[in-house]
Amino acid sequence: MSPRENEKSHRRKKEHYFDYSLLFIIIFLVCFGLVMLYSTSSYNGQVKFGDSTFYLKKQLMATLLGIVAMLIIARIDYHFWERFTLVAFLLAHILSAAVLFVGSDFNGSKRWLKIGPISFQPSEFAKLAVILFLALVISKVSKKIKQFRTMMMVMALCGPIVALVGVNNLSTAIIILGIAVILIFVASPKYMQFIIIGLGGSVFMGIFIYLEKYRAERLKIWLHPENFDKGYQTLQALYAIGSGGILGKGLGESMQKLGFVPEAQNDMIFSIICEELGLFGAVSLILLFILMIWRFMIIANNAPDLYGALIVVGIMGHIAIQVILNIAVVTNSIPNTGITLPFISYGGTSALFLLSEMGLALSVSRQVKLEK
Amino acid sequence: MVKSKTFNRKKIVIVFAAVAMILIMLVGRLFYLMIVKSEYYQEKADELHEREREIKAARGKIIDATGEIVATNKTVCTISVIHSQIKEPEKVISILCKELELSEEKVRKRVEKFSSIERIKTNVDKEIGDKIRSYGLSGVKVDEDFKRYYPYGSLASKVLGFTGSDNQGIIGLEVKYENYLKGQNGYILTMTDARGVEIKDAAEGRVEPISGNDLYISLDSNIQKFAEQSAAKVMEAKSADSVCIIIMNPQNGEIMAMVNLPEFDLNDPFTLNFETTETLDEKTKQNLLNQMWRNRCINDTYEPGSTFKIITASAGLEEGVVTLEDTFHCPGFKIVEDRRIRCHKIAGHGSETFLQGVMNSCNPVFIEVGLRLGVDNIFKYFKQLGLLEKTGVDLPGEAGTIMHKKENVGQVELATMAFGQSFQITPIQLATTVSSIINGGTRVTPHFGVAVRTYDGQLIENFSYPTKANIISSETTETIRFILEKVISEGTGKKAYIPGFRVGGKTATSQTLPRSAKKYISSFIGFAPAENPQVLALAIIYNPQGIYYGGTIAAPAVKEIFENILPYLGIEQVYEASEIEEYNIGDITMPELVGLTKKEADKVLKEYELNVEYLNEGETVTDQFPLAGETISKTSNIILYLE
Repeated sequence: MSPRENEKSHRRKKEHYFDYSLLFIIIFLVCFGLVMLYSTSSYNGQVKFGDSTFYLKKQLMATLLGIVAMLIIARIDYHFWERFTLVAFLLAHILSAAVLFVGSDFNGSKRWLKIGPISFQPSEFAKLAVILFLALVISKVSKKIKQFRTMMMVMALCGPIVALVGVNNLSTAIIILGIAVILIFVASPKYMQFIIIGLGGSVFMGIFIYLEKYRAERLKIWLHPENFDKGYQTLQALYAIGSGGILGKGLGESMQKLGFVPEAQNDMIFSIICEELGLFGAVSLILLFILMIWRFMIIANNAPDLYGALIVVGIMGHIAIQVILNIAVVTNSIPNTGITLPFISYGGTSALFLLSEMGLALSVSRQVKLEK
Repeated sequence: MVKSKTFNRKKIVIVFAAVAMILIMLVGRLFYLMIVKSEYYQEKADELHEREREIKAARGKIIDATGEIVATNKTVCTISVIHSQIKEPEKVISILCKELELSEEKVRKRVEKFSSIERIKTNVDKEIGDKIRSYGLSGVKVDEDFKRYYPYGSLASKVLGFTGSDNQGIIGLEVKYENYLKGQNGYILTMTDARGVEIKDAAEGRVEPISGNDLYISLDSNIQKFAEQSAAKVMEAKSADSVCIIIMNPQNGEIMAMVNLPEFDLNDPFTLNFETTETLDEKTKQNLLNQMWRNRCINDTYEPGSTFKIITASAGLEEGVVTLEDTFHCPGFKIVEDRRIRCHKIAGHGSETFLQGVMNSCNPVFIEVGLRLGVDNIFKYFKQLGLLEKTGVDLPGEAGTIMHKKENVGQVELATMAFGQSFQITPIQLATTVSSIINGGTRVTPHFGVAVRTYDGQLIENFSYPTKANIISSETTETIRFILEKVISEGTGKKAYIPGFRVGGKTATSQTLPRSAKKYISSFIGFAPAENPQVLALAIIYNPQGIYYGGTIAAPAVKEIFENILPYLGIEQVYEASEIEEYNIGDITMPELVGLTKKEADKVLKEYELNVEYLNEGETVTDQFPLAGETISKTSNIILYLE
């Protein structure tokens, strides 16, 4: 150690921290995700495309691309992106608008843009753009953020993109809103305002649900999934979870993935993890996510500036909200809404942008100054 | 560059804490779902995944009195294709087309259909199934299954019955003895995916099927064949609608044959046994099928007519209101109250004894006997003889007797009942009642079922049937046998006379309702040997064209059957001297005729009374049949070949 230390001592000022723990967690999650994806999708791939590795291959491509992107982004100073932020934010609007007109249908929702052989989900990009944009804006106005007016203006900036995304993809719109709220919450020194916003939001949601029959029905399905046709997916997920028991049936041994849980490799993948790996595996996965979020917290708290900290908080909020909502939906703790489980669920765009976000977080971690 | 403040850090910690807390709550939820509710959901999931695949049990065989199998199972194959496993679709299509004799278009459609499993053909013979299997084509599945098979086709079709798609009995003995025959299906508990496709190596349990038990019946396929042949002959000759024949053992009620022409093919029971010009809708076709499946011997009633006089005579003799020597006078009719009831002989039989009255089948004689008996006595004997109840035959759907209410019977009704009109009974009822009268007075239960054994021959049950002794005295039995033998030897039943056998019987000709339709039912009931009846036969010809008298058309049919089956049953011919003379009975040894000229042969043959038939033209005998030295009957036909 010492000779090496001496050798590099003159460069000490330039030596930076790098959060290897986070990198390890990311790699572990990505690999675990691929294994589980293969396990859940092989049947569907075989039935639909005659190729059990159909989904795995596609996901693997996106993941490899994502890892390359992550490693590149991690090496770039995150301040580099400041100058592109506005462009990216506007581009997110354009793409989200475009998908409304020329998007391709899948399961009744227009969420994909097809460019040649590649299909791309603009809402995934929108999340990243919003994180970067809000982090930049809030760090610029951080002194005035405690003012209610400023806060509202910042929220208002997110309005158009939330609306555009929300048309087809309510879940992602909620995630974007959630990220915005968390960012403002972290930037603002106040508490009371947020409690009021929280209460106001709840009342608003209540009225919203009450007024729209469609949502009220969703609520009924949530409470008694066995009585409704539309509760099928939820019920099948519960069967999968329940039949997992403590140690699960073993990797690859799920019965529910054989067409019972529809599109098991998508939103409901967590139920198959429960079935195959049991409570033990499911809790381990949740702990892994907690660990990851904890690393984000450490990085954010040690970030050299508020901008960096907010980027990481945005990413943290993104991951946390998706994990919570996904697991809550799968366990029927909240009404069903389509949210994927980060790093695990099938989705190329999602994998690419999540890994890019990880690159950003790692990039911020590189700037952490080691204090001795 | 804006630095983070302390409160920012604090808030980040709060966010983390909140997130971690929510996640821990979700872990709690998982604990609840995966431990507390685990069993509940596991059970529900298992219900969803598990499929019981049945293994069909072999249905028991039906074995006749001679040990012949008349109903058994045949292994058939179902050929299916599994789309995803097919590797050489063209080869599969061409081989399946060739082996199954299906059009290429049809096979191609199924092979190329994007489905999990597609059935190509069912009920394929095992040999073809084995052949297809031997090609070893991947994706082609050959499943074996049992199908009921009747080796004799249409033989006793309405008695044996057939089975449906679930191998369950539909009519006849198949349904009556369902519980013995059906066996118990086994099953394999397997797991399937959401499409119902079985998962390999996931079988969890297997319960072996238990084969059904074999039913041994009294029906004798040889006797049945004889009877069906005779019935077919008379049905064709008389263009009759249908012909029923029941042959039973009057001593114990065992039924040896039950013919219901036209029969139908048991191996193809859902195809009508006649041509139809128009296309039938589902309901009409089902009605016609039900008609085709009807066992008229049991399911339908008819007016028995003169054969019923046996019962009236028995009642009269038993009650003592008439003796054989009582004399009657028949002017060709009898007036009862205000009705003039005709005898079949318009000129009248004149003066006659009771015995002669029976031999002549004279209606006025029986009207008189009926009136002497009175309503109470007639009903007493009907009840005592078991006529008013069902026979209890072991076939489904037996029809009951359609009889006047006792309080509605006046003199006219009584008079018509006495000679078998104005009420209806089933053929099996008549056969059973006459059996009971001639067997010494024991009411028997007609039946087919004798015993049930396991498939490997172990006895499970010997059936016993209720009997009722002394329904009539043995004196009356003997008198009736004597009278009925006279009917055959000298009376209306002469056409059933067989030299060497003592046959008793009674003919009948009845008109169906409405009388104006001029449709007749011609029947004959006979038994042999008269002194100790071993076999009783009832033949009923429905709507014969031309001559319709029972004595003319039904009696010869029974005679033909008796000639065949009496020796078969081991009843020997005993000729009386008068018979030998009258019927020229005796054997000769066939003389050598080959080489002789036609004239010489004629000379030789003159000594005998043989019927000679010459074949070809010529003067010299080149061959003869039977050959020289063979023992032949005096009245045989012989054939000589000339050149």
